[in-house]
Amino acid sequence: MSARYGMVIDLDRCTGCGACMVACAAENNVPPLPQATPRTGLTPLLVRKVSNGMEGGAQREVFIPIMCMHCEHETPCVSVCPQQAVEVDKATGIVMQMPQRCLGCRYCMTACPYHARYFNWWDPQWPAGMEKSLNPGVAVRMRGVVEKCNLCHARLHAAEEKAAASGRREIDPADYIPACVEACPTAAIRFGNLADGKDPASHEAHSPDAFRLLARLGTEPKIYYKSKEAWVKALAEPGSGPAWEDQHG
Amino acid sequence: MSRNSLALGLGVATALLAGWVAFPQVLYVRKHQPVEFHHKTHSEKSGITQCGDCHTLRADGTFIGMPRLETCSGCHSQRIGTSREEATLVDEYIKPGQEVPWLVYARQPANVWFSHAVHVRRAGLGCAECHSSDGQSDAVRVYEQNRITGYSRDIWGHSISRLRRAPHEGMKMGDCESCHRQHHFEAGCLGCHQ
Amino acid sequence: MKVTRRDLLLWGTGAAAGLVLTPVPWKLLGDVSIWSQNWPWIPQPTHAPVEVKRSSCTLCPKGCPMRVRLAAGWPVGVAGVPSHPLSRGALCPLGFGAHQLNWHPQRLRTVLHGEKSSSWNEARIAFAKALREGPIAIVDGYPGRAASLVFDSFAQKQGGSYHVVPSPEIRALAPYQALGGVPAVDLGYDLENARTVLSFGAPLLDGWGIPGRFNHLWAERAAGAADPQLRLIQVEDSLSRTAARAWQWAPIRAGAEAALATAMARVLLEEGRVSARVPIPALTLAEAEQQTGLSTDAIRGLARTIVARPPVVAIATDDNPSIAALNVALGAVGTRGGIVRRGKKAKSYPGIDTIGSVRAVLIDSTVPWDFTPSANAEVFRFAAWNGASSRAGGADWLLPAPGFLEELTDVPTPPTSAVETYAVAPSLVKATPEVQSAAQLLCGTDTDLATVEKTIHARCEDLFQARAGTLYGDATMPVAQVVSVEKLEEQLRSGAAWIGEDVSSERLRCELKNWPTAVDSPSSRQETTWGGPALPPLASKLYQESNLREASEWRKA
Repeated sequence: MSARYGMVIDLDRCTGCGACMVACAAENNVPPLPQATPRTGLTPLLVRKVSNGMEGGAQREVFIPIMCMHCEHETPCVSVCPQQAVEVDKATGIVMQMPQRCLGCRYCMTACPYHARYFNWWDPQWPAGMEKSLNPGVAVRMRGVVEKCNLCHARLHAAEEKAAASGRREIDPADYIPACVEACPTAAIRFGNLADGKDPASHEAHSPDAFRLLARLGTEPKIYYKSKEAWVKALAEPGSGPAWEDQHG
Repeated sequence: MSRNSLALGLGVATALLAGWVAFPQVLYVRKHQPVEFHHKTHSEKSGITQCGDCHTLRADGTFIGMPRLETCSGCHSQRIGTSREEATLVDEYIKPGQEVPWLVYARQPANVWFSHAVHVRRAGLGCAECHSSDGQSDAVRVYEQNRITGYSRDIWGHSISRLRRAPHEGMKMGDCESCHRQHHFEAGCLGCHQ
Repeated sequence: MKVTRRDLLLWGTGAAAGLVLTPVPWKLLGDVSIWSQNWPWIPQPTHAPVEVKRSSCTLCPKGCPMRVRLAAGWPVGVAGVPSHPLSRGALCPLGFGAHQLNWHPQRLRTVLHGEKSSSWNEARIAFAKALREGPIAIVDGYPGRAASLVFDSFAQKQGGSYHVVPSPEIRALAPYQALGGVPAVDLGYDLENARTVLSFGAPLLDGWGIPGRFNHLWAERAAGAADPQLRLIQVEDSLSRTAARAWQWAPIRAGAEAALATAMARVLLEEGRVSARVPIPALTLAEAEQQTGLSTDAIRGLARTIVARPPVVAIATDDNPSIAALNVALGAVGTRGGIVRRGKKAKSYPGIDTIGSVRAVLIDSTVPWDFTPSANAEVFRFAAWNGASSRAGGADWLLPAPGFLEELTDVPTPPTSAVETYAVAPSLVKATPEVQSAAQLLCGTDTDLATVEKTIHARCEDLFQARAGTLYGDATMPVAQVVSVEKLEEQLRSGAAWIGEDVSSERLRCELKNWPTAVDSPSSRQETTWGGPALPPLASKLYQESNLREASEWRKA
């Protein structure tokens, strides 16, 4: 039985604190880049801020965590990669990026409608001694390759090992929790197997308040968003709501 | 034979000799393990009969790999034999509390994820399937390190041409893939990479 | 026979052709590609088993419980503790990068005297000399710890003084001491039972109190609801994160909080919407409109809104007496859903404005970096990280202190909690020999003092004797069921948390004789509780590598 891992992010709950971004970088051995700008930064998970465009006390903002959407159908990055460095995993639905195979052409970055892919402009460097704090389950990439969210695959590996050691074939869902899901103080990010009808995440993805970004492109992303507010739902399609704030100041 | 053919032939002969005989010698540098460890001595003399007695699989599924000093010092906190090698172990490593810097024949690059739990417990592979008779060693194999890659010769296999390879020899990605294909067990990229 | 050029060329051609029939080109191709993917200057993680241990974050006085993943003795990741009833498994964004702080380039590892390198020996000599020559003031940024007791005892014995730099949340509770006779450290907010929260610029969703606590309450009861069970009203001059997500945002001019609070109280009292017996303030609505920028109608509307769904409590970012008075008028002091007494009798500590003329000042590493003491005293400052600017945070001596999780310490009740709590933060990371804490220095100077270790032991014993509260450890159980003090201490020392009982019904009476004059206060924004001069490196994801935050939100330098 194959799984389809995905997320439902409750935008009514996200406060834009950024704990998920830091936890993601820590889990995935992403180096801190003091020389980077918002254009060259490496943030496999990026929280964007969008205003409702109103004035005075009626002004509100919503915070939208963006990571790889793990597109299921005609995945844009998969179709353009000359190296076959990315593919959709049949067993889990995770769009697997292999930085070790990447040659750095960045075609996939152009193809991704969600701007969810990041390039290693520099060799990863940590201040002296800080390499001791690197997470053992994740290999460090080098400059010249593209990387993106892999749904904390190291944690899936750990869950599989644990299951194997106890003689189970299926992992215990409680053992596989991506770093961002674990970090969120308001439990805004829900994670689970969207193909499993009994999984709460699957149930939420079918809620009337759930929507996906740029759904009209037909890539069938597995990251859903949820909100009860109409103006937030309208952000799913460009042109139909207030403009997204320019993140690349 | 004409002079030209002789020159050509000599060239080919030189290349063949260099490529098949000299190259494998030069490509690898021979290193020695810090302590000469014999598996046979331990299985015969101390009742350690299972591989897993020292090369344990932890409860959370992670594999211990090369045993830590505490495994050895369980018996060897003092010298219990007469060999020079044991003296090295006790005096240079156990007493000062220094982990033995074993040279690991099976070491893979950082981006490889191999789970012993999945292969041994779930797939039921025996240790000998990949590690052959290493568990009965009565001599320590020399560690041949590839000068270019830094990995052990065991990863490619002893035979430079990869012909007439023993079934357990070699652990390149293709070797993993062929076994997976044989057993109809597909794994995507991130199934084995990290 | 002479070897000609032709011979060589033919030999070379033969060799080239022959080479193709050998493994050389194919093996070299493969090996070089492996070599090019394994550059030695790319660091890789240590190949070591990961063990998970519990402790508490030591970056600020909230002390959020933490699970720390360790490999080869070094921290490789952190997460919260979901079973903890206050933190709910949350950590702030800085907490998630805290495990890398000890290697920050600004980490202090040598004793500095002015700008020059010195030694602990020299520093001790200078300190001993200062002790002989006059009284010293000791400044603590994280009161209530076992180390704080060392500071207080030492200061008393030496004839010096002990001072506290309170966190913003504690400072906001200071006015209630004058009104009700209870020190600020004994008070908390009963948020779990509040239905309307009026925040005057307090970043309730962004680092106020224990981050997980209000975030969880708000997420469960307010987020996304058209008619939320918990109404969050944010009064703030700009659209902060909390304002952006609040049920209502009341934008007012910066510094006009006192005017607004006073005007709202006036409306409520005149319209008979509150039953508290307090004098009616003199400030008129017209004056308030002028100061705040909100129309009189808006002020009236806001006042009526906050009492529409009681209990209501107002939260300030500083010791603004007008907001405290508003709380008294609302009946939010000593009642359910409001400001409550936690029950323990704590001492109220003198602030830093009472540091008189002293011979020397000893500043603990928990004191915010931008705190500079009086000019004439010799300053001995403990710090784990040095500031980028010189003049060393105003210190003559800069002494390397233990960094993140490098020393055993304890976690007293965090600010804003409505119940007493206690935890021990075991040291999980080996400190290098050149670091020493202020408490260690003082215990070394006066060997009669109870060490941190001893005080923690004594506190565990007290908890056991009291037989009250619940222990959240490997299992959750009432303290009354813990079999021995050894068991309790063992649990606490491995990261368990003690949560006290709800005593919010304890009497807390406040009396307001005169309404305070509404004065324009400087910026209403709460200073962050992060006081260090260096941020966890991965915070760059938030303010450097994206536009999510501004660096100035955390750094004062």
